Amino acid sequence: MTAPLAAAGGPVIPNFSAHSSGCAVHNHLFCFGWVRENWGPVLWPALRQHVVLTAIAVSIGFVIALGLALLAHRHRWAERPTLLVTTFLYTIPSLALFELLVAPVGENIFAAEIALVSYTLLILFRNTLTGLRSVPPDVLEAAEGMGMSRRQTLARVELPLALPSIVAGLRIAVVTIIALATIVYTIYDRGLGVPIHDALGEGPFKTELIVAGGMAILLALLADGLLVAVQRALTPWSRIRERPG
Amino acid sequence: MSEFGKAFEFILRNGEVPGYPDLPSLAHLALETLKVGAIGVAISIVIAAPLGIWLGHIHRGSFFAINIGNIGRALPSIAVLAIGDAFLGLGLGVVELALVVLAFAPIVTNAYLGVVEVDPELVDAARGMGMSEWEILRRVELPLAVPLIFAGIRTAALFVISTATIASLAGFSGTLGDVIANETSYHFSGVLGAAICVALLALTVEGALALLQRALTPRGVKIERRSRGAMADTVAAV
Amino acid sequence: MTRSRRPLRRPFVRLAGTPAAVVALAFVLAACGSSKSSTTTTTTSASSGKPAVTIGAKNFAESNILGNLYTQALKAKGFNVSLTENIGSSEIIFKALKAGHIQMYPEYTGTLLSAVAEEKTPPTSEQQAYEQAKAFAEKEGLTLLEKTPFYDTDALATLPSFASAHSLSSIGDLAPLGKSVTLGGPPEFATREEGLSGIAKEYGVKPTFKPIAIEASYPALEGGQVQVQVVFTTDGQLLGGKFKVLSDPKHVFGFQNVAPVVDKKVLEQQGPEFEATLNKVSKLLTIPAIQQMNKAVSVEKQTPAAVAKQFLTANGLA
Repeated sequence: MTAPLAAAGGPVIPNFSAHSSGCAVHNHLFCFGWVRENWGPVLWPALRQHVVLTAIAVSIGFVIALGLALLAHRHRWAERPTLLVTTFLYTIPSLALFELLVAPVGENIFAAEIALVSYTLLILFRNTLTGLRSVPPDVLEAAEGMGMSRRQTLARVELPLALPSIVAGLRIAVVTIIALATIVYTIYDRGLGVPIHDALGEGPFKTELIVAGGMAILLALLADGLLVAVQRALTPWSRIRERPG
Repeated sequence: MSEFGKAFEFILRNGEVPGYPDLPSLAHLALETLKVGAIGVAISIVIAAPLGIWLGHIHRGSFFAINIGNIGRALPSIAVLAIGDAFLGLGLGVVELALVVLAFAPIVTNAYLGVVEVDPELVDAARGMGMSEWEILRRVELPLAVPLIFAGIRTAALFVISTATIASLAGFSGTLGDVIANETSYHFSGVLGAAICVALLALTVEGALALLQRALTPRGVKIERRSRGAMADTVAAV
Repeated sequence: MTRSRRPLRRPFVRLAGTPAAVVALAFVLAACGSSKSSTTTTTTSASSGKPAVTIGAKNFAESNILGNLYTQALKAKGFNVSLTENIGSSEIIFKALKAGHIQMYPEYTGTLLSAVAEEKTPPTSEQQAYEQAKAFAEKEGLTLLEKTPFYDTDALATLPSFASAHSLSSIGDLAPLGKSVTLGGPPEFATREEGLSGIAKEYGVKPTFKPIAIEASYPALEGGQVQVQVVFTTDGQLLGGKFKVLSDPKHVFGFQNVAPVVDKKVLEQQGPEFEATLNKVSKLLTIPAIQQMNKAVSVEKQTPAAVAKQFLTANGLA
């Protein structure tokens, strides 16, 4: 390809390759230029949307799961049906759940969040309940002996002692949802799934594949690390028990 | 909910769409899904189980064994597909890579915990009886670790089968993912039907492995570990 | 629900139901709002006193290239125009046009008929497709400007070695091979009229079908997973002779030339030069031209804006 091609009466087709980055044309392992060019318009917005998608899902999921766990803590009968329903939700293949929500809800953030929230419930419910139940009976007796009401016991004794288990659940939920939010793009153009899908669809351009995929992975690792730090800061006493036991 | 009714009809018709006799049957797609998943789990077991067991036996690497579980969970499968595509190209290879990564975490973590949590007094007693390290591993630690090792494999299988449908995103056709990715041909009810099939398949495999586990677990271990079953499951689901 | 052909670049992003469209409109509104502030300030003779025009493009590379071509050519003539890229599928972008959030966007004639007009009987010629689409637009207070020479339909591609071994030049030549040939295509090709049914009816071709995601089309063909693969006529990968496209003389895959859909009022407001400029651009867009531009964007990773600029400059329209 050298001189522009000009057919009779047809368009002049310039030599586009002359303006392409050599790195992209030869598809080298990593083209920083492409990342620089696409960070502002593509990658950063996708990352931001991903964080928002995850934050909304985990927050709503947490509120619901906490409510259910408190109910099941007080009334044992509520545990089985809740576990049954949340386990069922958890086992629906994610691609299908997104797809199935489109007809009744539409291709929008509601469908995306309903699906994401439903995947947090089992994890958060089980961990919260396990935490609440792990409070030793003598501690509860002591609280009662001190004249605490049921509500006070819950707020001052049970919930704080359940905190390690709750935060552990949040950790799993956050990381799970970060992973699942990468397929939100199938119904709604948001999140890191968009650049990942674009990368899979074109090229294959290695830089785009690595950056798009790598951002999702790094985000998950970062979130996990952050929550570990939170977990440790909130529950200094649990560090002592940290195995191997 | 007539859509559910139609979905079950679709399953009962074995995935036939009226007017299109050439589409593959659901049974065939389910078998392929099972095959793709089984390959992934098998590779993972071969790599992860010995690693976890060995780390548990030497009581080293708890940080690695426990945190690798978290890291594995943190890798979105489609992101693994993307990065795999950069090096391997699309096809069954990247699909299996993503599934192996997914299955690796629960297997290595549970295998490690299973062995490391064997009562040290038992191990000391065995050593006192003059057992070699290999014998201790084979005759004391492994039998006692079976429930947790299996819990890890069961979780891995559950994850892998429900994720095997992403094969359709990686240019590998023949799994139930083909139906899920093709609402145009199969309609809402078909997608729903296929989703139900995937869930049933995953739960069936889990159940079958649970039975196998029962058969393989030494009787004494069953009694001792029963009270810890729930806890083990929580660990497994991590 | 019919899926329009082209947005298959995102296999899962389908034609939206109403709620999605509402959200998308809100988004478009926001996007338009923000892009107005960045609208070009080159107020020369052509734009003086005329309202600004916002052009839209769908969410895949080719549509964004077309949007940039039209926008930049108009800007060069001094018109006050701006571009909103990546709006969404045909239904969404058409609603944005009807609602006045954008005043123009490039659309495929066949898609306009099947996905937006929901026309059941397929047109029988390129010209008929265009005229039907134009008639539909006129009913809606819009119109179609001149169509491009290029068309973006499905096509069946194969490796040249396979084509010469079985002396294949048109789709019909596959008929004698029967089930022995494996055809790859997007999953829905299996049941689409412009798909397996069509090639069976029109050409008697009944291959073994293998669903292959759009992403994997060319790798599947090169890797030998399939011998024939469904591709798009305007794919940049088709340049350079690595693949051979089988001709479709019976037009099973329909007609998909592009024409700008414009609000009639806007045409009147902007005067004849507006229309003439757009037509000049469209006329230049041949299959090799759009293939080269698609390649520069999808394979060589230039921005649609940069590619459009080079093309217009070379043709004296920048």
